[in-house]
Amino acid sequence: MSPRYDAIVIGAGHNGLVAAAMLARKGKKVLVLEARTHPGGMLGDPEFRVAPLPYALRPEIAKALQLDQSMLYAAKPLEVLSFGADGLPVRVSGGLATGVDIATAEAYAALHTRLGRQAKALGAMLLETPPGLGKAKLSETAALARMALRMRLLGKTEMRDLLRIVLSNAWDLLNDEIGDGPLAGLLAMDATLGGAMGPRSPGTVLTLLYRMASHSPHGHGLRVMPEGGPDALVKALSDCVKAAGGEIRTASPVERILVDGDRAAGVRLTSGVEIASPLVLSNASPRVTLLTLLGVEHLDGEFVRRCRTMASKGMVARLDFDLASVPELRGGGALQSGQRLVVAPTMRTIETAFNAAKYGSLPDRPALEAVYDGAARRLSVSAQFAPHDLKGGWTDEAKARLSASVLSVLADALPGVASTVTGSRVMSPADIETGYGAAGGHWHHGELRVDQLLMLRPFDGAAQYRMPVAGLYLCGAGAHPGGDISGAAGFNAARAALRDGVH
Amino acid sequence: MAATANPVPLVHLGLEPGPFHERLIAHNRQQAWMNWMGYASPSVLDTVEFEYFAIRNQSTLFDISPMCKYAITGPDAEAVVNRLVTRDMRKLKPGRVAYCIWCDEDGQVVDDGTIFRYSDTEFRLCCQEPQLSWLEDIAWGFDVEISDVTREVAGLALQGPTSCALLKDLGLAGIETLKPFGIAEFKIAGSEVSISRTGFTGDLGYELWMDPADALNVWDALVAAGRLRGLRVIGYEALEMARIEAGFLLPKVDFLSAQTVLRANRASTPYELGLDWLVALDKPHFNGRRALLDLSKKTPRRKLVAIEIERDKPAHNALVYHRKTREVGMVTSALWSPTCKRNIAYAWLDAPYGQSVTDNLWVEIYLQKEIRWQRRMARCQLVDKPFFVHPRRAATPPADH
Repeated sequence: MSPRYDAIVIGAGHNGLVAAAMLARKGKKVLVLEARTHPGGMLGDPEFRVAPLPYALRPEIAKALQLDQSMLYAAKPLEVLSFGADGLPVRVSGGLATGVDIATAEAYAALHTRLGRQAKALGAMLLETPPGLGKAKLSETAALARMALRMRLLGKTEMRDLLRIVLSNAWDLLNDEIGDGPLAGLLAMDATLGGAMGPRSPGTVLTLLYRMASHSPHGHGLRVMPEGGPDALVKALSDCVKAAGGEIRTASPVERILVDGDRAAGVRLTSGVEIASPLVLSNASPRVTLLTLLGVEHLDGEFVRRCRTMASKGMVARLDFDLASVPELRGGGALQSGQRLVVAPTMRTIETAFNAAKYGSLPDRPALEAVYDGAARRLSVSAQFAPHDLKGGWTDEAKARLSASVLSVLADALPGVASTVTGSRVMSPADIETGYGAAGGHWHHGELRVDQLLMLRPFDGAAQYRMPVAGLYLCGAGAHPGGDISGAAGFNAARAALRDGVH
Repeated sequence: MAATANPVPLVHLGLEPGPFHERLIAHNRQQAWMNWMGYASPSVLDTVEFEYFAIRNQSTLFDISPMCKYAITGPDAEAVVNRLVTRDMRKLKPGRVAYCIWCDEDGQVVDDGTIFRYSDTEFRLCCQEPQLSWLEDIAWGFDVEISDVTREVAGLALQGPTSCALLKDLGLAGIETLKPFGIAEFKIAGSEVSISRTGFTGDLGYELWMDPADALNVWDALVAAGRLRGLRVIGYEALEMARIEAGFLLPKVDFLSAQTVLRANRASTPYELGLDWLVALDKPHFNGRRALLDLSKKTPRRKLVAIEIERDKPAHNALVYHRKTREVGMVTSALWSPTCKRNIAYAWLDAPYGQSVTDNLWVEIYLQKEIRWQRRMARCQLVDKPFFVHPRRAATPPADH
């Protein structure tokens, strides 16, 4: 065995880096092991990123890690262009929507403010360990009580409203408040992106609120692309780990988590090298961590059942298009670098796209989110719905078909874009699964839905980061509070491990 | 228009005849059938007293085909069985049987049963309640095959002091050398029969396992050989008396499976059931181990104990009191034991009663004397199980009696 570490973090995704930095800054000797050749996980591959929009890093975490705050403060909140069936795009920045009639803009502003307040109340739990079911610690229950209190402090009417809508669907809420159209399409996109759910699926209001619970230095619910983009964020986190004495080893895939006497004892790499450590945090998805790396023989049958039946069906494909020229917007002007483009003209188009995917087919007209990187001359598209369990499998032909339908939808918003494409790449949920240790190809390591949130994330009995084998922790997006590049899962996991004390 | 419908196979309603049913009918004078896992099973065929005394003095046949039986085979079979039950199955040699319990993740007992080991890679589990989905959960991720062989294996319990002699009469060479919990293969009237020296009576006895097609052939041979050995076909009621004497617990009577309880606190831990000796905390991880480790350090909140009660009236469904006033528990199984000549029962007692406080315990027995109810407080003592112990149960070779 090689030298002993205080902690090993499996996976140098942003959550792994945040966890490693937290531990290293507390004086632990930390080793981060990354299977790929670059740190940053889904953010990290400059050639083809799974997550090109890391805009939800919690400022509390940036502060705790003493990251260069200007990276977040200097950047402006994200502007979104949402294209309807015709006419100019709706431009949305926070609660401000332009390009729609005054009445809709006002209704949207009011809805945004209201949901924002409710999301903030719900968000009280995001940086806390969720309470255990049946056997919660006092501190965990206190965090839940704080959330309940914040909900109550919204006032009677608003709390009642929150409880009325929280389990309902985005379709009804948005039709009631702002009517269907590109603005509702944008919100419904936020509510469903990544999930195996359409706007009409129950629980989509909760997922929308969940997304709106993100926090930025510019205020709650606003999103900020860090200055310098994903690479800058990955570098900042990696530097933070190294500055605190941590070590990051890339191209070192872990094959097995070693267990000795019902305690984590280290890891074995695929190269056969064993590295000892009494504390192992895994940034891989819960299923990969527990069923593949740890092994079911260390777990109870019911626990294994809940783990393997966890919903984690990937529904998003990523496509990158290299463009010869800056894409032109319908109605004039150019798509600016860093602007977020959404092509979901109505909620109905999203629901229709979901219908095909429910039964394992590709939709004719996927709903899209895209961002243009001017420096690389690249348009990065997230297309939903692209089911992990595609009928006939993710063949080159299926990818080509998806690519063609994405370009055809894009052409509505960016006329003539297809003729400027000089190269393209498609990453299916199946590729995300094999490439990033995310079972089911879900970029959040497990669907964000009401039965997989808080004390039920990733599943009942595994929600406190610490796993049944002592010294093993989940620190990835599969754990509470889930994905979205907020860093919160890694932050909470590291704190849970530190709280549990000496290993 | 003529109505048309596709013919649908008839769903069998009511009780199913088991492999020995034709013969059981002939013996069943009472025609008292009960439902045992869908099979028609006799509760009593003639007179329960005759049947009970045959268990202790002669030989008895009881059809145990309705027992749930699962074949667990494959390279990881030992690992899966060891992961299922709380005992260390690595120590169980081929050709041996072990009584086991298995627990859920909270350390609550799911069921009990016997595990038969036929070879390094072949096991069979016999138990009361269906366990297939539980076994599939436990075996997930292991290289093992699990199949429900309940309908593929017929079982007969041959129990009683003359059972060995009866089998010797049938020419089963070496049956007398079979030790308790041993398995051996024999031929009876040309039919292959696997015989284990196991049973639910706490007496000398065997269980015979065969192909259902051979069931009647084997039955006829046993009954013919049994004429001079006092062989009697028995039903459930007589066996129930013997099993209480023998100290065996019955699921759904003495305890409930953690899988079936609606109220979580109705499930039981091995420590509460007094089955500590079945839990090997020092073996590798098994289902419920971490919870059991915690539970092993705590005082059980209640305990299933064996009690002996003054006077002769069985304490069915009775409440147990401390100092005749404080209610501290309840009786699950009760019997006036004809062989032991003792009034015996199992009772659940809430802590600390039955653990640190064992004196001044009283059982409240209700007696009906010609439609008039009478209440009797009878003093009871904690005793060790089993109530009935006889050296012939374990003697190898057993005497002919």
